[in-house]
Amino acid sequence: MTTDIVTIERDLQELWKSNTAEAAAAGHSTTRALTLNLLARATSIEQADAMGAVIQALTASHPCRAVVLIDQPDQGDPQLEAWVQANCLLPAPGAPQVCGEQITISSRGARAGQVASLMLPLLVPDLPVVLWMDGDQPFGHRLLGKLRGVLDRLIVDSASFADPIRDLAVMAEFDASNTSGPESPALSDLNWARLTPWRELIAQFFDTRPFLPHLRRLDHVEIDYVAVGEGGLLRALMLAGWLASNLGWDLCEGGVSRDGEDIGLHLIRPAVGAASGGTRTVTVTLRPAQFDDNALVGLSALHLRAVDNVLADFSVEHTDNPTCVRTLAQVAGQPTVSRLAHAERADTTELLAAELRLLSRDRTFSAALHSAASFARGIIEP
Amino acid sequence: MTDTPILENPLRSGLRLGRTPEPCTMVIFGATGDLTSRKLVPALYNLARERRIPGGFSVVGFARRDWDDAFFHQTLLEGVNDNSRSGKAEHPLWDSFANGIFYHQSSFDEAAGYASLRDRLNAIDHERGTGGNRVFYLATPPEAYPVIIRQLGAHGLATSPNGGWTRIIVEKPFGRDLESARDLNAELLSVFHEDQVYRIDHYLGKETVQNLMVFRFANGIFEPIWNRSQIDHVQITVSETVGAEDRGGYYDKSGAMRDMIQNHLMQLLTLTTMEPPVAYDANAVRDEKVKALRAVRPIRPADVATYTVRGQYGPGNMGGSPVVGYRSGKGIDPESQTETFVALKLFVDNWRWAGVPFYLRTGKRLPRRVSEIAVQFKTAPHLLFADSPTNDIEPNVLSIKIQPDEGITLKVSSKVPGQGQIRPVTMDFRYGTTFGVASPEAYERLLLDCMLGDGTLFTRRDEVEASWSLITPIHQGWADGPRQEFPNYEAGDWGPASADEFMARDGRAWRRV
Repeated sequence: MTTDIVTIERDLQELWKSNTAEAAAAGHSTTRALTLNLLARATSIEQADAMGAVIQALTASHPCRAVVLIDQPDQGDPQLEAWVQANCLLPAPGAPQVCGEQITISSRGARAGQVASLMLPLLVPDLPVVLWMDGDQPFGHRLLGKLRGVLDRLIVDSASFADPIRDLAVMAEFDASNTSGPESPALSDLNWARLTPWRELIAQFFDTRPFLPHLRRLDHVEIDYVAVGEGGLLRALMLAGWLASNLGWDLCEGGVSRDGEDIGLHLIRPAVGAASGGTRTVTVTLRPAQFDDNALVGLSALHLRAVDNVLADFSVEHTDNPTCVRTLAQVAGQPTVSRLAHAERADTTELLAAELRLLSRDRTFSAALHSAASFARGIIEP
Repeated sequence: MTDTPILENPLRSGLRLGRTPEPCTMVIFGATGDLTSRKLVPALYNLARERRIPGGFSVVGFARRDWDDAFFHQTLLEGVNDNSRSGKAEHPLWDSFANGIFYHQSSFDEAAGYASLRDRLNAIDHERGTGGNRVFYLATPPEAYPVIIRQLGAHGLATSPNGGWTRIIVEKPFGRDLESARDLNAELLSVFHEDQVYRIDHYLGKETVQNLMVFRFANGIFEPIWNRSQIDHVQITVSETVGAEDRGGYYDKSGAMRDMIQNHLMQLLTLTTMEPPVAYDANAVRDEKVKALRAVRPIRPADVATYTVRGQYGPGNMGGSPVVGYRSGKGIDPESQTETFVALKLFVDNWRWAGVPFYLRTGKRLPRRVSEIAVQFKTAPHLLFADSPTNDIEPNVLSIKIQPDEGITLKVSSKVPGQGQIRPVTMDFRYGTTFGVASPEAYERLLLDCMLGDGTLFTRRDEVEASWSLITPIHQGWADGPRQEFPNYEAGDWGPASADEFMARDGRAWRRV
């Protein structure tokens, strides 16, 4: 067990020496590849193990220097321990084995407050610095405050926020306060990343030229979300926020209503066409759906409709097959287009990898989050 | 209040995947052939599976054989199961995809077959919402190209109804010499506009080939040394382990020069030597490629002995097993003079490259399957480490590997710890390990680009003619010269001994790839 920088670095050197020797004895070579600094904060050993497993799997696409912090300020005697390990892929025949490295730091009691001073010198220069904070919303956490100046990206998962609706608004405030300046990390939410296949399939309807004009005519949206945990409702809010921010829909004053468990959002849509006589309203209904294990990433179905004048209906629904969704486009006077599409259920490693591929702020996410937060505030105070 | 029509899909803004094309129908001529089941349909299935092409997308297979939709589907399904990079077809997805696949039986010169094709395409537009958008894919033997093009023109299929678009993809070989390439271009352009024509070279769909431009033009450190001042020579190698005996009928009339050099290796040469384009768009990129080709010094027929080497493999061993020689293949002349190996030395006569030799080699039945561009830099001007146990410091080599392991390697000299020795070490960048995502198949990228109307990775008329204008004089020189003592290398060797002598004359050696 080691606690200071010099010892950690010496342990890393020893680790690589023995790793290289073991690889040579096994008849292959080994390559240490570091593409980023990934700092991960866990609150228990079990959570750290789970995050470590994700980081190990991430080596395939993002070999990195990972620093996993087990942060337990309220437990036990003051203690700061660290140990190192290599995260290696199984070598392909004839190819060198690719490895990243991981430093795990366990901090307890009063010494937890000192941990940032141990993490900062462990960052590899000239590589992006990403902080992954799983669990409850971390926007006021002391560690984030200490590391903010060096972070390129903060990754959270709003599906595990303790008070999701309020925390969504807090997340939006954090993002809004971080829009510029060299010390402003970009924000990623894995719960938003889970929506990518849905967004892709919805956008794809309107790549078809005859369908594109109907996008501005939409007046009814129904989102059925899986009501297990609160992550589903947040995803539904963010999807609605994405549509609203891209299509210029604004929430009416007092525009959030509840009907049993259904949530209604009433928005103003910009006018379309010279004869339309002004703006129109759009009704977005968020409905909890029965839990269904096949439901794609927590959403169950989505319908976009224009009922005023020419009837147009675009829908995405999951099927009995866990990796398939059915898309259906029905527009009066046009052939009905239906198909099955593959929609993968991305695991945490894949979601994280997708966020790590982003090199800059995701402005689409920021805009969707801003709109979703206005809906969340309406839910809190109708 | 505004009444502005929407031209762009606002939901595409910031999406993490690129845009998808409008629904269209792809008509594959020669649909019962190997290319369709091995490459084209697996590529289309993967595009559909990964949501890169929209619902409504349809395929019509046009061929002579007396097949029906069900048999066609079954053949294609087997092709996907055997060849798709995503593994076996997933059934609900395949069934949904196959709903849009139809078989159209007709010979290529039968007018009625095209009239019924037109009716069928109109019906698909109506039933599946393809909006008059069509891609014709010529996957037939090249002899059939002219008649198909004429029939398409005669039946009004070169233009689309309902404001849709029509494009045509032409597979290689695009001609067999300069004259036939010009004739084929004239045939195509009598029916289609140049911007409707997509001449495919699947090498351009490979990630590393595309990355070559990014590597050169998105990194400030390489361009200043990418010239005659710093580069000693360049070697471009495309070696294959397969023989040609299984497709002898075609290959014996073609040879390595037409089959590989005229298209794939010349593409690699132009991407290595071209100047930065003014924009990354189809015409700007292709303008620069054509300029580079026009700067290549033609090898005159009288000079072929100096600048070229030919080879043909005889019997030998591959991977520990005996294999027959080229001339033993079916449909191959037992006295064949067709080359299965070619090495060339080319010069690019412009300010950037004057005096730098470009060595190109390709061959069949070579020990390893490798495609790479190796840029060898000049050695350090003064040997500072004369007391080193070796005074033979190797030059830096930048090697861009296209297959099988796509990636880039830079060889630099480094001191061995604790000793005075200097050893070359390599800095490796591999697509497979760095990005961790499977590169899409070349055909996926190219088919998608065509459907999106992006011709950047396709060959333009002047480009294909400029390339043939370099190749045809070499064929003339070979034809005028003495008969070759073929076979002159054993299967499993790195080509004929004369190829090594060819390099040794310049004081150089082929890379051990």
